[in-house]
Amino acid sequence: MQIVSKITYFCNYTIFVLKNIFQLVKREIKLEWRQKTALGSIFIYVIGTCFLIYLTLQGLITIPVWIALFWVLALFTTVNAVSKSFVKDANEQFYYLRFLVSPVEIILSKIIYNALLITLLALVIYAFMFLFFNEKIENDGLFLCTIILGSVGFSNLFTLLSSITARTQNFVLLAILGFPIILPLLLLIVKMSALSNFAIQQKDIYMHLGAISLLNLITIILSIVLFPYIWKD
Amino acid sequence: MKNWWKILCILLLFYTIIFGFLGPIPELNILEESIRNLYFHVPMWFAMMLMMFVSLVYSILYLNKSKIDFDIKANAFAKAGFLFGMLGIITGSIWARSTWGAWWVFQEVKLNGAAAGLLVYAAYFILRGSFDDEEKKARFAAVYSIFAFCMFMVLINVIPRISNSSLHPGNGGNPGFNSYDLDNDLRLVFYPAVLGWVLLSTWIATLLIRIEKIFRKKHGLDLTK
Repeated sequence: MQIVSKITYFCNYTIFVLKNIFQLVKREIKLEWRQKTALGSIFIYVIGTCFLIYLTLQGLITIPVWIALFWVLALFTTVNAVSKSFVKDANEQFYYLRFLVSPVEIILSKIIYNALLITLLALVIYAFMFLFFNEKIENDGLFLCTIILGSVGFSNLFTLLSSITARTQNFVLLAILGFPIILPLLLLIVKMSALSNFAIQQKDIYMHLGAISLLNLITIILSIVLFPYIWKD
Repeated sequence: MKNWWKILCILLLFYTIIFGFLGPIPELNILEESIRNLYFHVPMWFAMMLMMFVSLVYSILYLNKSKIDFDIKANAFAKAGFLFGMLGIITGSIWARSTWGAWWVFQEVKLNGAAAGLLVYAAYFILRGSFDDEEKKARFAAVYSIFAFCMFMVLINVIPRISNSSLHPGNGGNPGFNSYDLDNDLRLVFYPAVLGWVLLSTWIATLLIRIEKIFRKKHGLDLTK
């Protein structure tokens, strides 16, 4: 009987945590929605950069260059979008939040919210690159899957790093810390995008999907383990 | 004799340099005399990886115990590792020029991975510089260094194996040194060289720790925290 009660306790606790995370994600979205200028500026940034690339390349582009530009643009957008994710909480709200919820809930909710935001931004980039260059990835579904996995990976890494850099006055620090660390993931994603356009062997696709998922798993575990040390202040 | 390993280090390095340049080597195509770089280039990377690993251990210890002493050590070992990483890149670049024909080869994932790994640790030093508060600096740097080490290992050990495009021996379908040409003449110098360079890097790290501690004592910074 004791085991059953333990299991029910554990289930209840998990549901409680999930509910908290859901509420926190909702709070993030509400806060973002309230400041439409901040949200709008990041979308205009994306569209503007797409247009800039289109004009400077004069409409001439091949698929590998397209993919490389797509992910570099996604990376820069991520840095801009994520950099302020902990700045909001640097005031009195921080103490209130710390009193209410555990650090694991905070980091998971931020990661989920950032992943949603980055996926949305990446889709906007995809739409505009398609509009301007008329080059489409062969296997759409697989590329969408790559976008989602890549966004989750970007979000895992940059959310934790932005929590570190939010305490400093150094604004380029997030890019300095993030770019070399994101490189393994970025290389795999670019390879995966190339594969979703044209793959000789099915085996390669599974191997790269597996590697990206594994990397995402490692980064999310590291984030969960390490974030409490940053949050305690 | 507390300092026996320092004497050993000097003796081993003299042995490495003298026999490395004058000792007998097997006759190899393309590599020719450049195989002597094996005594310098490869041990540099071993030393770097060991230093980074020790730095990681001290970072984890700092997060657990919150003693500033561990942070000083983590920083010093990362610095020594960075130095040896730079030396590894320079010696590797010289070797690449004579065997692959260029100072920097794009097809070589290990090379790019190593360069990115050095950038990761350069960012670590920048991060340390951007905090004023001692305790915060130590804590955040420790968190970043754990993250950095994991990604660094993925960069130089996992990616080259997946991507399958490497010119290094033992990668991408190239035969490893062990299989046919690391003969006994090379081994006789190579193993002492590894030990010698590792000891030298440890020595540099301990010196850095002592300098930092003297600096703190002189300026009255608290060490017991």
